[in-house]
Order: sequence, then C-alpha cells, then structure tokens
Amino acid sequence: MTIRVLDPRVDPDLEPLALAPAVVLDGATIGLLDNAKIGTAHFYNHLEALLRKHGVREFIRRRKPDTSRPVPPEMLAELAVADAIVSGIGD
Amino acid sequence: MDFASTKYDVADAFAANELYQDNGWTDGLPIVPPTDALVRTFLEAARMAPGAVVAAEPVRRRRITAEKVAIAAVMAGCRPDYMPVVLAVIRALCDTGYGLHGVSASTGGSAPFIVVNGPIRNAIGMNATHNALANASRANATIGRTTRLIILNVLHGVPGGLDRSTLGHPGKFTYCVAEDEDGSPWTPLSVERGVPAGASAVTVLAAMAPHQVLNEWTTDPREILDTYVGAIRANMLTYSIWAGNYVMIIGRQNRDVFTAARWSKQDIREYVHERAWVQRGDWASVGKSAVVGKDPDRVHTALRTPDDLLVVSAGGPAGGFGAIIPPWLGAKSLAITTRIEEKP
Repeated sequence: MTIRVLDPRVDPDLEPLALAPAVVLDGATIGLLDNAKIGTAHFYNHLEALLRKHGVREFIRRRKPDTSRPVPPEMLAELAVADAIVSGIGD
Repeated sequence: MDFASTKYDVADAFAANELYQDNGWTDGLPIVPPTDALVRTFLEAARMAPGAVVAAEPVRRRRITAEKVAIAAVMAGCRPDYMPVVLAVIRALCDTGYGLHGVSASTGGSAPFIVVNGPIRNAIGMNATHNALANASRANATIGRTTRLIILNVLHGVPGGLDRSTLGHPGKFTYCVAEDEDGSPWTPLSVERGVPAGASAVTVLAAMAPHQVLNEWTTDPREILDTYVGAIRANMLTYSIWAGNYVMIIGRQNRDVFTAARWSKQDIREYVHERAWVQRGDWASVGKSAVVGKDPDRVHTALRTPDDLLVVSAGGPAGGFGAIIPPWLGAKSLAITTRIEEKP
C-alpha cells in the first residue's frame, strides 16, 4: 500500500530560450542597464573602458529607477537599438 | 479532478516527508503529505478548479494555480476552511504595490507579515491574544507557513537561489496574526483601509522582525507612544531610514491607557507621524558617519503620512507590551489589504 503525493513546484517555464547570435564588438553599440545597486556604475565604467578597447563605438547607459522592479518600457525602448545589452542583476 | 502536478508514489507519510525534505521542497519542518485526495478536498472547500489562476507574480510572471496553493496549504498543515484566507494572502502578495519578487530576492530578508480581520478569524480559530505573535493557533501558524512554501516552491524563493537574504528572520517560517477586534473598541485595520465592516480581509506587509517594547509605568498615552517612537527611531538609525508602512502592535494593557484617554487609532497615527523622525546627522551616533552627507540637518520621518502607520490590537491581557514591525525598505513595498472571498 503506497500513497500518491503531488509535486509542489511549478513546471519549468514552457518557452525554451535560445542563445542570441554572437555580437561583433567592432563598431557595435552596447547598452548597459544599471540595476541601481551601489557598485554597478563603478563596474560599468570599467566594462565600458574594456569594451572600447575591443572596438565598441557607442554605449547607451541607463539606470533603473528602482532596483526591485522591472525596467520601465520607455527605458527598454531606448536600449532596444543596441546590438547587445548588459543587464545588472543582484549586488 | 485532474491534476497537472507530477505524482510520486511513496510508502507512507514518513517516506513522503523524506522525499520533500531531500528535494528542498519544505522549510525544514515536516510536512503533511499532499495526496491527491487531500488536495481535492482543499480545492472543493475553496470551490476552485485545479487550473484556476489565483494570481500571477508580476516580475517573473509565474502563474500561481489553485492546485499549487492547495498543495502548499496541505503541506503546511492547514485545514480546508483556511483556504479563503490563504487565497486572499496570495492575491495580496501579487499586487504590484507589494513587489513580491524584490522583497523575496533581497538581501534585506523580510517576510510577509499577515494581519487577518473580520468574522473568519473566529470561525477558523485564529489567535489574537496570548502569545499573539507566536505559537498559539494552528490557523495562525499554518496560514503563514503556506505563504513561505509557495514562495519556496512556486516562485523558487530558495535560500541561496532566488532568496538572497543575508540573515532573514524567524518570521519567514510563519508571520500571521489576527486582530483582537473583540477586545478593542477601535475600528479594525481592514475597515480603516476601506473594507466594509463585517467583511473579512487580510493585510500583508513585507516586514522585518518585531521589536518588542515595554512601558507599564504611565497612564499618559503620549508617554506610551514615546516608547514605541523610540523603537521606530532606533530602527531608522540602525536599519533603514526610509519612510514607509510601520506596524504598531498594541497589547491590551497599553490599549486600556488609550481607551481611558479616548484616543482613537487616528490620534495615535497623528502623534507618531509627528514624533517619529531622525536627522541624517544622527547616523553618526550609530557608526554611520560615512553616509551622513552634506545635509546633516535633513529630517527623515518614519511615515510619509499618518496613514502609513498600521495600528493593530493584539496580545494577552496583562503586561504593558507592544511591538513595532518595521518595513523591509521604506515605501518600496507597500502594505496591501485584500478582501477575503467567502463562498456560501
């Protein structure tokens, strides 16, 4: 005699995610989305200098108004013209 | 009733608990095995189909189905008649103003603090008196625990995973009170927040641990409140200076002082709003000189307006005790009040 129990977790997200195509940095525009944490701007300054050495021509830097909430749609639209976006997560 | 969840066959309840413990599907405490028969009973009590979406967490857009809520409620040790309260709590937590994702992921380590008002408190045997903030009632204990199990399993709020809390606090196991409406002449919290009198409701707040205070040596309501205000100021300096929703739990003996002086909850809110503030320069007194900045005289109030203070009657009959329950991080997460839907 056994008992049958149910899994408490949600099933994995249904939409499979694929890797975006690799970005050619030479001449690229890169978005840097700051998650408004204390060290992010400092980190991005270094990242920006590093990426410039690899030929990145333009940066779009935006700072989220609130760490804990989603990016406002208008800010996302401004970033959308970039070839790739770096998004800060956590501390 | 057909369930979407994966099913596991285990030898007995002990083996079921081992399975959930080994997989990290519980908070470390034992669970009641969520068998399909029990889950069905809970859904029938709620009159909901398994696939009905109770709410969706707004950031990661995880849909929380009635089936998963019922599974968590069974596991936590609820009775089927607690389901309307649990469902209202989940809906409140998914309100965008609460910001469930941020508060659950934050290093700040808050817990959903739940206040239940209205007739359902007594109908399901909730406690509002002795040991009000701790163990005294199955309903208080298990309704609060259900929210933790849903955050853990449905939203993946796993410590070290999405839950990045540095310390957390014991309220993350369960943090649920009923207001002592029967022992107070005051307007219930839910009614103050717009729910019709006689209806049941929950109020949730992303909150830190309670800071207990004691003053039983005065009959002056102002002096009583100055003690609570002292705790708020200490929190502003040592934890977070930002204004938001604070909860003030007032025990019976302190309440009697206010009642004798004919002070309402609104009188209390206005007094606390006026008195609970610190100056930025005060940070230097607790080792935080580095963040005082160029304007040490700038005043920070604990509350944006008097309405930010949630005054709750709860506690045993004796002792001049009360508690301050601070917000997670100012007004970045707001208290949300949701009416409990009771189906006849």
